[in-house]
Amino acid sequence: MNLSLHPLILLLLFPGGLFLLNIGMIYEWADRKLVARYQNRQGPRWFQPLADTIKLLAKEEIVPKGVHKGLFFALPIIALTGALTAGLYVPLFGFEPAFSFQGDLVVTLYLLSMMTLCMGLAGANTVSRFSLVGATRALTQMFSYEAPFLLALLGPAIAAGTWNIGEINNFAGQNLWMIIAQPIGFVVAVVGLMGKLELPPFDAPEAETEIVAGALTEYSGRGFALFRIGKDVELVIGLTLVVVFYLGGISNPIWFIVKSAGLLLVVAALQSMFARLKIDQTVGLWWRLGALMALLQLVAIILGRYLGALIR
Amino acid sequence: MSENKNNLVDQVLIKLKNWARINSPWAIHFNSGSCNGCDIEILATLTPRFDVERFGIKLQGSPRHADVLICTGPVTLQARDRLIRVYEQMPEPKFVIAVGSCALSGGVFDGCYNVIGDLNKVIPVDVYVPGCPPRPEAIIYGVVQLLEALKSGKPKEPITVTEPVPEVVLEEEI
Repeated sequence: MNLSLHPLILLLLFPGGLFLLNIGMIYEWADRKLVARYQNRQGPRWFQPLADTIKLLAKEEIVPKGVHKGLFFALPIIALTGALTAGLYVPLFGFEPAFSFQGDLVVTLYLLSMMTLCMGLAGANTVSRFSLVGATRALTQMFSYEAPFLLALLGPAIAAGTWNIGEINNFAGQNLWMIIAQPIGFVVAVVGLMGKLELPPFDAPEAETEIVAGALTEYSGRGFALFRIGKDVELVIGLTLVVVFYLGGISNPIWFIVKSAGLLLVVAALQSMFARLKIDQTVGLWWRLGALMALLQLVAIILGRYLGALIR
Repeated sequence: MSENKNNLVDQVLIKLKNWARINSPWAIHFNSGSCNGCDIEILATLTPRFDVERFGIKLQGSPRHADVLICTGPVTLQARDRLIRVYEQMPEPKFVIAVGSCALSGGVFDGCYNVIGDLNKVIPVDVYVPGCPPRPEAIIYGVVQLLEALKSGKPKEPITVTEPVPEVVLEEEI
């Protein structure tokens, strides 16, 4: 069964807040190390993300000319806040979510897309043409992966008959793993997660060989560090979501680590296997293939539920 | 007592910052008129064979994210303004590594009508890596030298870079 802790500890220290930041950095390291090992390299040392973050926080922050200053400083904070708030509704480490109500799945997904929205705004805020192109691409990509990702997560929600992440977690723990019942949905969800995190096959928004560094080109120092941490937190929460929905739920911390690390292994393999897609290919892939597949899965689940009820 | 404590906190903070800086030097690569020999060696340094990510070195696209400017070639008249602009776009603290004979002294291009000369005439340089072109091992050694200098805590004097550079006047045809 699920473990439970005092809400304030949940909020500030243990699965949320400080701990989530650190676990995000550990997952970033694991991701980079796995990609390096797949490429037959040694890869970074274990404290690399920590050193990167401290260095960026200690660096000078340049405010470029022509930006709206309030937005420039507020956007990284809002992005990180969105990612951390999403952590409250997710059963991290098998602990009960700090908050939960009917339909918190939708809220969590909106909070997770706050990051992309903030990056889009941050890019559009500066006058640099590279960050503008990056912002356009980030927002275009968001409009393409968001619908299939939501549809892929709706499958297990409909099967469980609830839109509450905690209840879906319980349902998944007591039944057959959804990856066996809904394999198409799992594929769409994993690839959607990679699109959400802008990992290599879908990293057109920050393609350093074309548009310098995408939407965050003009960010230096603190703002850039906050965006990076926000992305790490989002990686942990995204992995947790997919594990909860498709890999049989999380009942205790050991299962969380085993299952999410296994999923990270797959995601890192996909990252090092595929070359970057162009932005029109990304959109085409999602709308022509991803959305259709996810819809097919949904129709199959709904039909299955109806037919099952009829037969009974 | 409180002053002592403050000093201690400050010292710990400075040590922490220094540690982070030594362990995560992000680089940007700029070619200010090189023949591309050194650039290919720099790219070879970044390949999985040498794997500089194990030292935390990462190539960044944007000068705003970088700490180390790896510069190749003599500075041509055309590249001078761009070089200064890229250098000034980098946030403090920033370091410059000059790679190759031409960046050291102008090399075979020294004295050409379209060349200002070595890198030090335009921006302050921290480390010189000689060679034509230097091997990837030499470039990694140069970065390690820079990090060693940082570890010993040698303060870096701020130098303004927008001082007027002696104009090279072309002789006009009559």
